[in-house]
Amino acid sequence: MTMRLVAAELVESRQILPGQWLQSFHAPELASGSRAGQFVHVRTGDYSGLVLRRPFSINTADPATGIVTLHFRTVGRGTEWMARVREGETLDMLGPLGRPFEVDPRSHHLLLVAGGLGMAGIRMLADEAVRDGRQVTILFGALSASHVYPSSLLPDEVEYVVATDDGSLGHHSLVTELLPDYEAWADQAFACGPYPMLARLAQLAAGRRARLGVAKLGRKRGAGRADPLGSSASRRKAFLQVSMEQTMGCAVGACLGCSIIGVEGPVRVCREGPVFAAEEIAWPASA
Amino acid sequence: MKAKKQVIIFGDMRVGKDSPNRSKRTPTVRKIKSAIVPIDRSAVRLGHQPGARPRVETGSAAVADLGASVSFEPTLAERESLDRIDLSVDLAPEHGGLRLANPILVASGTFGYGVEYGEVVDVQRLGAICCKGTTLRPRAGNPPPRVTETPGGMLNSIGLQNPGVDAVIEKYGSVWASWAVPVIVNVAGESIEDYVEVARRLDGVPGVAGIELNISCPNVGKGGLQFAIDRDAARAVTAAVRRATQLPLLVKLSPNVADVRPIARAIEEAGADAISAINTLSGLAVAPDRTRAFLGNTYGGLSGPAIKPVALRIVYEVAQVVSIPIVAIGGVTSIDDVLDFLACGAVAVQVGTAIFADPELPVRLADELRAVCLRRGLETYRPLVGTALPKRTGAPSAKGAEYRP
Repeated sequence: MTMRLVAAELVESRQILPGQWLQSFHAPELASGSRAGQFVHVRTGDYSGLVLRRPFSINTADPATGIVTLHFRTVGRGTEWMARVREGETLDMLGPLGRPFEVDPRSHHLLLVAGGLGMAGIRMLADEAVRDGRQVTILFGALSASHVYPSSLLPDEVEYVVATDDGSLGHHSLVTELLPDYEAWADQAFACGPYPMLARLAQLAAGRRARLGVAKLGRKRGAGRADPLGSSASRRKAFLQVSMEQTMGCAVGACLGCSIIGVEGPVRVCREGPVFAAEEIAWPASA
Repeated sequence: MKAKKQVIIFGDMRVGKDSPNRSKRTPTVRKIKSAIVPIDRSAVRLGHQPGARPRVETGSAAVADLGASVSFEPTLAERESLDRIDLSVDLAPEHGGLRLANPILVASGTFGYGVEYGEVVDVQRLGAICCKGTTLRPRAGNPPPRVTETPGGMLNSIGLQNPGVDAVIEKYGSVWASWAVPVIVNVAGESIEDYVEVARRLDGVPGVAGIELNISCPNVGKGGLQFAIDRDAARAVTAAVRRATQLPLLVKLSPNVADVRPIARAIEEAGADAISAINTLSGLAVAPDRTRAFLGNTYGGLSGPAIKPVALRIVYEVAQVVSIPIVAIGGVTSIDDVLDFLACGAVAVQVGTAIFADPELPVRLADELRAVCLRRGLETYRPLVGTALPKRTGAPSAKGAEYRP
């Protein structure tokens, strides 16, 4: 579905973790036209003097009920305003925006890695993958047990592995350090979370093909002809895809405000992303 | 000087004693009157039965008459009258004309190359599109982060990321040529030669209706001093581009100067067709951990409603010293803002930052301006231009200069 301006009515708003909200909106166009990894740009109240919309990953989308959910943390005036919106009120959303995660049709084992609020970035992919009969493991990292995303909000079919920084629940480590254990099991990995986490994952994932001796899957089509970097086809073949975050202006590719540095120059998080293959991003050398 | 200006720009919009528009100089009286008699003149004029259809509720009639944005649902007859209202404006009568169907433009940097908003915005209903700043060679722009919100506005430091003039022409020229809406290419450069070369390459390209010079760029050859803050540099770059092209030429003023008037005059003398005012104000934001500046480029340009008073002041000052049309930019979010800028002497207005929150705003503002004209019984919006400028002729006052930072 092409992007459009949608009036989304808030039907439920609840605080699922300290300072973290899960809001359900009735927006049938978004619910049926969105794919995992895409986002909406939400207009905040005029009277509060906020001039920019706020981008949110589409957390879940249910075409049957027309409900989309957003999961966010109150971090500033925009999200604080959002948290105060009452049920029945309508928000102006621009979406769906950006490019989705690209799952290789031959991938059966999907590894989803989320850090904190990054769960909102990969949550919908879990639904899509389960629907398509794939096996899903979610590695989730949080500061402590009180920040761990409730497993009751995840599909029953997924395996949920938790790591906390202080060891109060699950593995006592950074979530990134669990990746090597799953490297051989997973056909593809998808991640969303803080920049250092994504950079570390990219570093760990690099060279996986050589380590595991994985041959390039599939037929050799047009020998030597590689898909251009950033194309859907090349992303589909990538082991690790990451959903990036950046402060954003227009969210449609007009203002170039959300550009990040890719290996071939600046790329717009709103248009070329927010999902990128890890090898498209120019990660800092010392990540 | 002033008389000359009125003849050129406002030749057909001089406000005379008998002008129906004269009453808005005493808004208080007007407000009370319309609050008592909630029938607006245009309805009477069109032969509507007073009170036959309450177009504006009694309570908001006064506001409506002062031009505030209220919902306006025209009847069929009114729609026909609305269509007859002439919102067109020519920004470059001396260079082949830059005729816009309405005076609401979209500002450079906020609307990409006109294609990005896709079906969300009907670009054909815009007055004109000022495209993203374009340079001779491709530029990668500044390191991220590049934007951040500030109270009532935002800072940006994109750093003129663009694919270079040749790629822009190749990629978008044919799309622009297929549009009825004029596209004004915003041009930036590091030297006069850069500007001239870009202008040359744009000259004669179908779909390019005009050029807007962004002169708030460092002049690398002159120690990095911005063209826009130096009268002679502003004059030189404008004159050089003027010689290089017959395209309509707008020059965009920077607010980051002590006195903008000599620079505006120099730009006019150098042959610009119109002046756009203003570019962003230089600003800074601090990172959350307070160990550095937030933006990758340290400094950013402030835009949005926060800068509207500054833009109004500059338009007001420039309108009194130049006779070429002024296109106002700075914090436009409503029809009231448009009317304010017109009153201060602008003949057209660019919408920028507000597009991010409300992409449909520019198109709506044109409709609302038409509705304001209808309500006031005007056939064009020109009587709304310059109404707030000082009435007496003579040298402009220097009053207020001492308060400037």
